[in-house]
Amino acid sequence: MIVLRSLFVLLAALPSFCLADTAIEGRVELPKSRHAPVANKRYEIVSKGGVLAPFPAFAVVYLEGNFPKPASLPVQQMVQKNLAFDTALLPVRLGTKVEFPNLDDTTHNIFSFSPTKRFDLGRYTASERPIPSQTFDKMGLVTLRCDIHEHMRALILVLDTPHFMKTDNEGRFRLGGLPAGSYTLKAWIDSKTTLERPVELKSGATVRMDFP
Amino acid sequence: MITPTTGPDRGVAAFRMRLLAGMALVVVALTAGGLYFAERKVSGETQHTFQRAFEADLALLRTIREIRHASLAERCRTLVRMPRIHAAIEDNALDMLYVSAGDELGNVLADTKSANEPFARHSIHAKFYRFLDAEGGVIPPTNAAAVGALEADEEKRLASAGVPLEQQTGYLWRKAGSAAGEIVELISTPIISTETGDAIAALVAGFPPSGENGRAAEIHGGIWLDGRLHMPSVTDAIRSAASASIERAFAGGAESAAQGIPVRAGGEEHLIFFERLNPGSSFPPAYEVGAYSLAGLHARQWQLRWQAAGVGLLLLGIGIAASSYISARLALPVRELAIVSEENRVLRERAESALEITSGELLRTARFSADASHQLKTPVTVMRAGLDELLVREEISPAVREELSLLVHQTYRITSIIEDLLLLSRLDSGRLQPELLPVNLAHIVDTCVDDLHLLNDSMDLEVETDVHPALHIAGEKRYTMLIVQNLVENAHKYNLPHGRIRIAGREENGTVLLTVGNTAHPIPPASREHIFERFHRASVGENVPGHGLGLNVARELARLHGGDLRLVRSDAGWTEFEVRFCAAGPDDSRAAV
Repeated sequence: MIVLRSLFVLLAALPSFCLADTAIEGRVELPKSRHAPVANKRYEIVSKGGVLAPFPAFAVVYLEGNFPKPASLPVQQMVQKNLAFDTALLPVRLGTKVEFPNLDDTTHNIFSFSPTKRFDLGRYTASERPIPSQTFDKMGLVTLRCDIHEHMRALILVLDTPHFMKTDNEGRFRLGGLPAGSYTLKAWIDSKTTLERPVELKSGATVRMDFP
Repeated sequence: MITPTTGPDRGVAAFRMRLLAGMALVVVALTAGGLYFAERKVSGETQHTFQRAFEADLALLRTIREIRHASLAERCRTLVRMPRIHAAIEDNALDMLYVSAGDELGNVLADTKSANEPFARHSIHAKFYRFLDAEGGVIPPTNAAAVGALEADEEKRLASAGVPLEQQTGYLWRKAGSAAGEIVELISTPIISTETGDAIAALVAGFPPSGENGRAAEIHGGIWLDGRLHMPSVTDAIRSAASASIERAFAGGAESAAQGIPVRAGGEEHLIFFERLNPGSSFPPAYEVGAYSLAGLHARQWQLRWQAAGVGLLLLGIGIAASSYISARLALPVRELAIVSEENRVLRERAESALEITSGELLRTARFSADASHQLKTPVTVMRAGLDELLVREEISPAVREELSLLVHQTYRITSIIEDLLLLSRLDSGRLQPELLPVNLAHIVDTCVDDLHLLNDSMDLEVETDVHPALHIAGEKRYTMLIVQNLVENAHKYNLPHGRIRIAGREENGTVLLTVGNTAHPIPPASREHIFERFHRASVGENVPGHGLGLNVARELARLHGGDLRLVRSDAGWTEFEVRFCAAGPDDSRAAV
C-alpha cells in the first residue's frame, strides 16, 4: 500500500518534474522615454549622442554561454513596408541568414556601414528574386539604412546564443526552455548599454532576475 | 509805262536782305534753342536708359548669382542628407566616408567628360570637397586627387569656419590657374544628425565663381577678398583705382556701394560698385565688385550729340533756304509797290506841275479880269457923267431924253456886271477871304425885302418872311447881304404878276437853311443844271433884266462861307432855292448886327 502510494506520488510528480521549465523571468529597467507614447506602437530606431535605441523602448535579454551550433538556422526576414522597416530591432543568432523583402511599390537600397557587417544590397524592388539577403556571421550590432530613404533605420543584433528575447515595453521578460548551468544573462538596452548578470540555472527552476 | 529807276531796286534788295537776316536770326535762334533742349533731353534720357540698363544688368547678375548659389547650396544640402554619408559618420565608418561620398559626389566634381554638358558652362561642378569632423578639423581624404587636391594652407582655410549650424558661404583665393590666381566659392554645409539635430560634421565644397558668360559686356566682375581685389579682366590701372576707391569706401564705413563710385583710370571712366557676398558668414568677408565701363555711355552720348548737330545743321539749312524763299516772295509785292509808288510819284509830280501851271494861268486870268474890270469902270463912269450932263440940258427932246435915260440905265448895268466880274475874279484867284462873324440873318432879309418894296413895282407881289429875329449865321455881312439880295432879286425878277415870295429861315444841327421861294414858270429840266453857270440866263426870262452872274456869284459866296446854294424845286408854278450857312450863336459878343 505504501509502495502503491509512493508510486502514485512518483507518477503524479513525474510529469511535473519532467515537464518543469527552466526559465529566467524578470524586468529590465528601461530608460525613460523622451518621446510621447505612441498609440500604434510603431517601432523605430532613435539615437542620442551616437547611441542607438529602439523606440518605444524595449530591451533584448539573452543568455550567453557555450551552446552547440545547430546544423542550420531558420531564415529570418527584415521586411520593408510603408517606407519603413517593420521591425526596429531584430535579434538573430550568429550565422543566421536574414532576407530583406521589399513590400513597397518603390525601390529600396538597404546597406550597412557597421563594422559588424558591411554590405550593400543595391537597389531592388518587390519583384526582386531571390529576395536579397545577408548572413550575419559576426556578433554585434548592425545598423541598417536605406540609401534612398534617409529616414529608414533598423538594427540587427547578432548574438551567439539561441536563447534571447525582446522584452515588452515595460521591460518584462521570461526566457524559458533554458538548459541548467552557469551562464551570463545580458540585457541589451541600447547600442552603448548592455547589462549583464551571472546566473545559475537549475533544472526546472525559474530564476527571478531584474536589471539593474 | 514808267521804267523804275535803280532806287526802288536797291530799296527792295535792302528790304529783302533785312528780312532774310531777321528770319535767319530767328531760324538760328530757334534751331540753337531746339538743339540745346534736344541735347539736354537726349543726354538725360541716354543716361537714364544706361542707368536702367546698368541696374537691370546688375539685377540680372545678382539673380543669376543667387539662383546659382541657391542651386549649389541645395545641391550641397541634398548631398549631406545622403544616408551613406550619414552612415559613414554615424556608424563609425570614416574609412567609408570619402569612398561613399565619392559615389555620391562623383558627379559633383568637374570632369572632362561633362565639360560639354550645358551645366558645365554654369560652373556648378565642385573643384574639390572635404569633410570636417565635429570639431571642425578636416577629415583627411583617402585619395586627395579624387576629391580635388588642396594645399595645406588652403585646407586650413576650409576649416576656418568650423562646423557651422547653418550653411555658410566663403571664398578662397587659390594660386592655381592663371597668374592672378582664381577665386573659389566655398559652401560649407553642416551634416545634421537626423535624430538629434546636432551638427556632427560638415561638407565643404569649392566651386568656381560665377562665370563671365552671364555678364553684360560693360561689366567687369571681381571679388574683394583678404583686402585685395581679384578682377583679372581689367587693366592694372583700373584695378588699382578700383581698389583704392573700395578701400576709401570701407574707411568711410560703407558696407556696399550699390549706386556706384565713379573712377577714372587709364583714360576711361568706370562705375565701381560692391556688395558683401557672404553676409553673416563665419568665413572671412568677401565682396562682389563690379566695374561698369561708362565708355559706351559716353560714346552713345557723343554719337547722339553728333546726330543732333547734324539734324540741327540740316534744319538750319532748310530754315535759311525757306527764309530766303519767303523773303524773296515777300519782297515781290514790295517791289511792285515800290514801282507803283514810283509811278505815282512821277504822276503826282506831273499833276502838281500841271496844277501849278493851271493855278498860275487862273491867277493871271483873274488878275486880267480884275484889271479889265478896273479899266472898264472909269470909262463907264465918265460915260454916265456925260449922259447925266446931257440929260439936264433943256433942248433935248423927250424922245432923246428917254434914249439917254436908257443909256444911263445901261451904264449902271455895265457897272453892276463889272463889279460882279471883279468879285468873281477875286473869288477865282482865292484872294477873297471873308472874315466870319455872327450876322443876324433876319436883319439881312428885312433889308432886302425893304429894298424890294422901293422898286417901281408893277408886279404887285406878296412878300412873306419867316425868319426868327435872333437867327445868326457865321459870315461876312456884305457878302451875306449879296447872296440874299441876289436870291430875292431873282425871286422878284422871275415872278409872275400878283405873285408871291416866301423867305424862310431855320436852324438845323448847327446849319442855317434859308429858303427863297417864288411863284414862277418852272425852269426847264434841261436848264436846271446850267443855272449856276456864269452868263447863263434862263430861257423863260428873255425880257427879264440881268446878266447871268447873280446865281453864280451867290453860290460861290455861299461856298466861300462854308455853305452852298441849290435849287430845291421848280415846278407847279413855284421855284425855290435854298442857301445853307453855318450857324452862329446870337449871344456872341462879336455879333456885328
